[in-house]
Amino acid sequence: MMKKHHISALAVSVIALAMAVTASRTFLEHRIVEPIVKGPGVSEIRRLSAWFPGLAGTPGDTDVYIFRGDAPGGSMLIIGGTHPNEPSSFMSAVLLVENATVEVGTLYVIPRANASGFTHNDPQEGAPVSYSFTLEDGSRRTFRYGSRATNPVHQWPDPDVYIHAASGQALSGNETRNLNRGYPGRPDGTLTELVCYGITQLIRTQKIDLSIDLHEASPEYPVINAIVAHERAMPVASYVVLGLEMYDINIGLEPSPKNLRGLTHRELGDATDTLAVLMETANPSQGRLRGRTDEALVLTGKDPYYVKAQALGRLYVPFDENGHPMEERVGRHLAGISEFAFALSMEYPDKPLELSGIPGYDELLAKGVGAYLRPAR
Amino acid sequence: MKLAYLTISAAILALAVWNLWTEKDWRKQAAAAMVAMPLLLRVFLVK
Repeated sequence: MMKKHHISALAVSVIALAMAVTASRTFLEHRIVEPIVKGPGVSEIRRLSAWFPGLAGTPGDTDVYIFRGDAPGGSMLIIGGTHPNEPSSFMSAVLLVENATVEVGTLYVIPRANASGFTHNDPQEGAPVSYSFTLEDGSRRTFRYGSRATNPVHQWPDPDVYIHAASGQALSGNETRNLNRGYPGRPDGTLTELVCYGITQLIRTQKIDLSIDLHEASPEYPVINAIVAHERAMPVASYVVLGLEMYDINIGLEPSPKNLRGLTHRELGDATDTLAVLMETANPSQGRLRGRTDEALVLTGKDPYYVKAQALGRLYVPFDENGHPMEERVGRHLAGISEFAFALSMEYPDKPLELSGIPGYDELLAKGVGAYLRPAR
Repeated sequence: MKLAYLTISAAILALAVWNLWTEKDWRKQAAAAMVAMPLLLRVFLVK
């Protein structure tokens, strides 16, 4: 006969299992990869493992969209989704894939640079699971809000102190899963380092002239609405700053610090011949001062606590009741990419790059991101 | 290293489940279940 405490143990076990199964469904749904619709300019889609076979079959392998122009010229790599909790980075890459065409030169776009980071989100951040856009035909497209770092299910445990392999620089242990601390990567390292190595190999093999890593930053973070450029990329980046001024887009220009290692703008510039830059926009949904964290905050960028912080002089970016909506943040990135293509052609006439079809800044502000997404069937 | 940590997690999960079924106070059984749940998710590589 079953003892009394076994009856209660059975009841507790059933309840616990039901809760675990419910939670598991939510966690596992995060691994579903949303479609990105191949636009008219995409010539080929390859996996990153094509450049580094060590990534094949791992959660770090990811799609690389290639746009080849009618005429040869310069080449540019767009790295989106380095940090999957910075959605304008990913969405800018998606809009490129679905809209851009290349007349001269070659464009490479990686929307999910840290594919593993898109399969979970950060505990205790209260981040929304996803965010959605309404398209012109009335349908909706939904995208996952991910984590800053590689999924610990894919790379575990974290060391107490992360040692950057190429320099020996010591960082906090959880930075071991931060893609933008692992460059140039190594072929026998952690999953994060393998992805870094794959991207570095792509740049080396394809002789990429210019690499742009797209990011977002908290409004209280000093490097924001800015370009961070490797010293060799400074002339091109200066062109871009002036070019964006013509569209009333104010953007700062920061030199890549020589002693901050593992980041794209430092390591890709040092380890390869590419001109390496990084662009930042303002995203309150990842900031420390934010209030309610939901889909609306991700999309509208409106937060009353940041308005207060602005009044107190605590922010590094203008912040009012209008916030920093997704269309503004994506528009800044796309305008920057267009200007970089133009600047590369100006600075290096033997490496022309002509892009078209990219939604303009004013168009995005007027119509929103959804107007430039294609229906996913 | 990952395999070692998974083995440790599985061992602690087994102890938590054993504790759940031998404990006579239902409140302590519930506490054991709360310990077991995240371990279960990690051992099965869900979270």
